Amino acid sequence: MKPAPFAYHAPAGAAEAAALLADLGEDAKAIAGGQSLVPMLALRLAVPEHLVDLRRVDELRGIEERDGTVRIGAGTTQAAIGRSATVARGVPLLARATPLIGHFQIRNRGTLGGSLAHADAAAEYPAVALALDARIETLSPRGTGTIDAAAFFTGLWTTALEPDELLTGVAFPVWTGRRGFAVEEFARRGGDFALAGAAVAVELDGDDRVRRCAIGLFGLGSTPLRARAAEAAATGEVAADIDADDVGSAATASLESVPSDLHASAGHRTRVGAAVVARAWRRAIREAADA
Amino acid sequence: MRAAAARYAGARVARVEDPRLLTGHGTFVDDVVRPGMLHACFVRSPLARARILGIDATEALAAEGVHAVFTAADLNPDVVEAWYTLIGRDVPDTPRPPLAEGEVRFVGDPVALVVADDRYLAEDAAELVIVDYEPLTPVPDYATAREAADLVHGAYPRNVAGDMAGPPLEQLAPAFEAAAVVVHETIHQQGYAQVPMETRGLVVEWSAPTGELTLWAATQSPHEVRLFCSRLLGLPEHRVRVLMRDTGGGFGQKVVPQREDMCVMLAARKVRGPLKWIEDRRENLMSAGQARHEHADARIALAADGTILAAAVDHVQDVGAYPTPWPVGTAAAVGMFFPGPYRVPQATWSTASVFSNTAGRNAYRGPWQMESLAREVLLDAGARRLGIDPAELRRRNLLRRDELPYFNPNGMPYSDITPLETFEQALKMLDYEAFRSEQEQARAQGRHIGVGTCTYVEPTTAAMALHATEGATIRIEPSGKVNVYVSGGSSGNSIETTVVQLAADALGVDIADVSTIQGDTAVTPFGGGAAGSRSGSMTAGAVGETAAVLRERIAAIAAHKLEAAPEDIELADGHARVRGVPESGVPLSEIAALAYFQPEQLPPGVPAGLEASGRYRPENPIIWANATHLCTCEVDVTTGEVRLLRYIVSEDCGPMINPNVVEGQIAGGVVQGIGGALLEHLAYDEDGNPVATTFMDYLLPTAADVPDIEYGHIETPAPGPGGYKGVGEGGAIGAPPAVVNAVADALAPFGVEITRLPLTPERITGLIRNASAPHGPRTTARVDDPNGPNGPNGPNGPDGPNGPDGTSSASATGGAISADVATSAGGESGADGVSGVDDASAAGSAGSAGGAVGR
Amino acid sequence: MPDAHAQQVAVEVTVNGTRRRAAVPPRLTLADYLRERCGLTGTHLGCEHGVCGACTVLIDGDAVRACLVLAVQADGAEVTTVEGIAAPDGELSPVQAAFRDHHGLQCGFCTPGFVVSVTAFLRDHPDPTDEEIRDGLSGNLCRCTGYQGILKAVRAAADGAAAAPKEHA
Repeated sequence: MKPAPFAYHAPAGAAEAAALLADLGEDAKAIAGGQSLVPMLALRLAVPEHLVDLRRVDELRGIEERDGTVRIGAGTTQAAIGRSATVARGVPLLARATPLIGHFQIRNRGTLGGSLAHADAAAEYPAVALALDARIETLSPRGTGTIDAAAFFTGLWTTALEPDELLTGVAFPVWTGRRGFAVEEFARRGGDFALAGAAVAVELDGDDRVRRCAIGLFGLGSTPLRARAAEAAATGEVAADIDADDVGSAATASLESVPSDLHASAGHRTRVGAAVVARAWRRAIREAADA
Repeated sequence: MRAAAARYAGARVARVEDPRLLTGHGTFVDDVVRPGMLHACFVRSPLARARILGIDATEALAAEGVHAVFTAADLNPDVVEAWYTLIGRDVPDTPRPPLAEGEVRFVGDPVALVVADDRYLAEDAAELVIVDYEPLTPVPDYATAREAADLVHGAYPRNVAGDMAGPPLEQLAPAFEAAAVVVHETIHQQGYAQVPMETRGLVVEWSAPTGELTLWAATQSPHEVRLFCSRLLGLPEHRVRVLMRDTGGGFGQKVVPQREDMCVMLAARKVRGPLKWIEDRRENLMSAGQARHEHADARIALAADGTILAAAVDHVQDVGAYPTPWPVGTAAAVGMFFPGPYRVPQATWSTASVFSNTAGRNAYRGPWQMESLAREVLLDAGARRLGIDPAELRRRNLLRRDELPYFNPNGMPYSDITPLETFEQALKMLDYEAFRSEQEQARAQGRHIGVGTCTYVEPTTAAMALHATEGATIRIEPSGKVNVYVSGGSSGNSIETTVVQLAADALGVDIADVSTIQGDTAVTPFGGGAAGSRSGSMTAGAVGETAAVLRERIAAIAAHKLEAAPEDIELADGHARVRGVPESGVPLSEIAALAYFQPEQLPPGVPAGLEASGRYRPENPIIWANATHLCTCEVDVTTGEVRLLRYIVSEDCGPMINPNVVEGQIAGGVVQGIGGALLEHLAYDEDGNPVATTFMDYLLPTAADVPDIEYGHIETPAPGPGGYKGVGEGGAIGAPPAVVNAVADALAPFGVEITRLPLTPERITGLIRNASAPHGPRTTARVDDPNGPNGPNGPNGPDGPNGPDGTSSASATGGAISADVATSAGGESGADGVSGVDDASAAGSAGSAGGAVGR
Repeated sequence: MPDAHAQQVAVEVTVNGTRRRAAVPPRLTLADYLRERCGLTGTHLGCEHGVCGACTVLIDGDAVRACLVLAVQADGAEVTTVEGIAAPDGELSPVQAAFRDHHGLQCGFCTPGFVVSVTAFLRDHPDPTDEEIRDGLSGNLCRCTGYQGILKAVRAAADGAAAAPKEHA
């Protein structure tokens, strides 16, 4: 189980990396932490001709809060995100999703940008980015750009990134006020990709009504999903009047292309999905009500 | 003359293996590097069944660093003999060609062998070997293979590798007719596997000038590897040397060389340089073998008071395409042990081994384990139907000590076992009554907790054929330090520590003054290796017999020197002393120096030197061991998650040489059994494609998935040296039934019965939904409640809506309390295995390998 | 443009305190680099796809899977393997001693990964709960021990009582 040969590039800066990607086109893969890519190389499920290693691109790492967003460099490791007080304060949903990713040895290498670019529908970070309407920042020889999370995940392991585009960072809006966040997932074992998971953010107004809410789903489609109908139904309602199980049912009522495999059928995933949405909703509401 | 009281046997002695293993200085087969070493990689079949029309290796041979590409035509004709000492030459063995010849018979079947400078290059070249296949209809499902139009092997009609049976079932008809209740279920177990953390592998070095072959192996039995290799290649046994130091787990997978090993042995004489093959994990999960895939149509007749009247089992097992070794004989054990440690007046059995186009069946820790799974699950089902607590039902039937020796109805002569004692000890450790109260309260709160047990008796140390004897050579060196040579074959069983403990006691020396040399056939006595829960007892016999010879010699020398009678000499603390005269001691170093350097001073008739060899042959062909496993769990009925709460094992392996080792063996086996009950599944889809070929899909239990294991020990000596019994396999036997019964107990209010493994979350919720849906919710009844689901008035009772007309064939006789056992066709899209091959029908051939690997 | 088959990349890695320079093909994993180029065979390969944890090493102090890192990615890094955990004179580290005292290993194949992972885990969680220990161990697979001895060893190492229940050494 050894990778096929590839040519290796280790650019020193983001612009150089983007230029290389543009130059090499579809034959190249960018590698950051490699925690998804290297196993695929070893299994020869990915056989790129060129690997562009981002390890020397220091400008891709870092966490900063400004203008109501927390901006995280794409090369920031999951471990660094998990340790960050800025993230814990500004984007608690991301902080709470982090310990659920793999195991600590994986999080020491795995990066935010790698997770989003790999776009596994069962992974935590893509669902969090989608739930929080994060903006994904890119760089290419054509210039910088941003892609809304809602437009980023286009299909099974595919994103809106063009071959010449480098994912450079992610800007997460900071929710303020009476807010609550929860991530719930169900996996066969801890650390496995979830059979179904939910990332929920809520904000209550002074009358305990849901001012806004967001429900991100993972493991329940070919991409991470937003349960927009369930969000709409809950928004404006008095939190105490909302039955969390109804939220779970609404969030999973019209799912399409739910995966089915050795570990669970689509039907089981859907039912578990409803349960984890309900659990996450209850926890998020409780936190917001106490805030 | 005798050694002083044991200092080390029975103690939690720290292992002598540990310092090297903890610091990265072990020597596993992949750590062996030889000058000029080449690396092998197999080209494997991507199809479950196909005709090989042609193989073109031109491009591969031209690739960088490639030395050779071998096909069946190159290697297979060189086979001289290929049979296993354990099984014998004359059994009607199943086919086992080194490389696939003419037809591939499972996904992963080795078709060609590429040899290159390193494994990277070998894998590159393997991709360039072009094999032209004509796909044939596969026979992926053993359960229907006997009716299939296609044959896995043309010479085996109905795809049956072999079958065996006891007396006709009709002979038991009176007992079954007289029963108040007949529990009759077909219990299905999924395929799972040994999955040692170290995959298979070997390094073979051929020296043409000397005609010698040296082989470094990952094996449980170096001497069997040597014997097999010498026969395979037609080399004299003394020209083959097998070495192993550390083997990273075996659990049966490494008891005998398999087809890939044969290929590497055969190829090594055709390449310029030592040849290494290290299996990768995908190969291991695809082709190293499978186990446990079987079903048992089992029935137990019970009187109204729960007394067992008769038991019968019809067992069918999947042997894949190339079982290794011959699987038919071991299957009989499922039938022979089905009555277990219970008073069963009459029984019979039958078993069939059926080929399929999947990986071959091989030995796995307690290979007959299906007997316990089927029996214990049925006993719980019977207890529910009779309204008797399952513990009470077992109490009424478990063998008591005063009934021993006891011949079970299949003629198995149990002795020196304590099933009732282990059972009561386990219940007491739990506080069974308190748990039942807690369960009642939990149910009132809508929580679902349950308790399950399994009590079994197992044969250990079966002294037959390869395993009939065990030898030891002990050399007390001129300095008085001790080296003990035994065959070894440890894949984690701590046999080095065991040997050192036993030898130190036997010779009355400090444990630090004893070393052991194992795993090198050039210097160690012949021995069968680590299999069949035999290492402890057999090695104790070998060390004991050999040490006795040396003790006698030491005593004679010391007596001569001290002018005492040899029978008054005692060995302790590295000295020989006259008993009762502590100041009289002669150090062993002095005796050794005399023995080697001043033989003229030895008493008449005493041979020079302090070296002896002995060979132990047990008087009893089998040593029986027994245990009770008890498990409690909580089930989340929404997600189907099972959380194990407590896990208790009370066992009787006789006196313990090292309790750490005993408990370690139990724990390891238990967690493999838990994995088998809940997580692991070597699944195939309906086309015969394996869908669990990575550790993302083949789910081993992690530290987060297992409960703390609590141990109770009953120590009944077995006949034989030290009274020791085997303990290596039992953990893996007892755990699946205990877990299944605990889950079934937790879910009893729903009226579900479990007949199919593994207990995935989906299967559990499916069982609940299917049991609940047609009959409405039944969430409050207790099993022993006459109005409960299985009570006489409940929905499953004779007068209930689910009465004796269900699809599962519980027979009601005598109009007594009797009921159908709820059927368990559950899950959607065939997830309960009703279509296709087990659960895999929903899986699709891609599994989640397309990217769900790593993060 | 480099040729995928011929390219060799210069790397400099400090392994267990020793600086090493090598030219490696880019596809060589760090695990294979350590085993084959450095002769440090304590780093074991149990799955080569990042699940079993047997190949765990420290890179700049962080526990990582050496099978999921390319050797070229370790250029400039400090790597500690299981061979670098004990004292130079062979004295076991507290974690290693605890594993020995509590029967935390049997076949020993997964052991290097556990030793390295636990060393890092306890450095970062000096006072872990039992739950944290189980979670911290869940990225390493063992097939022999049922994790019982390992859990006890980690608890003991955390409590600084590595040498507790020992009747004979």
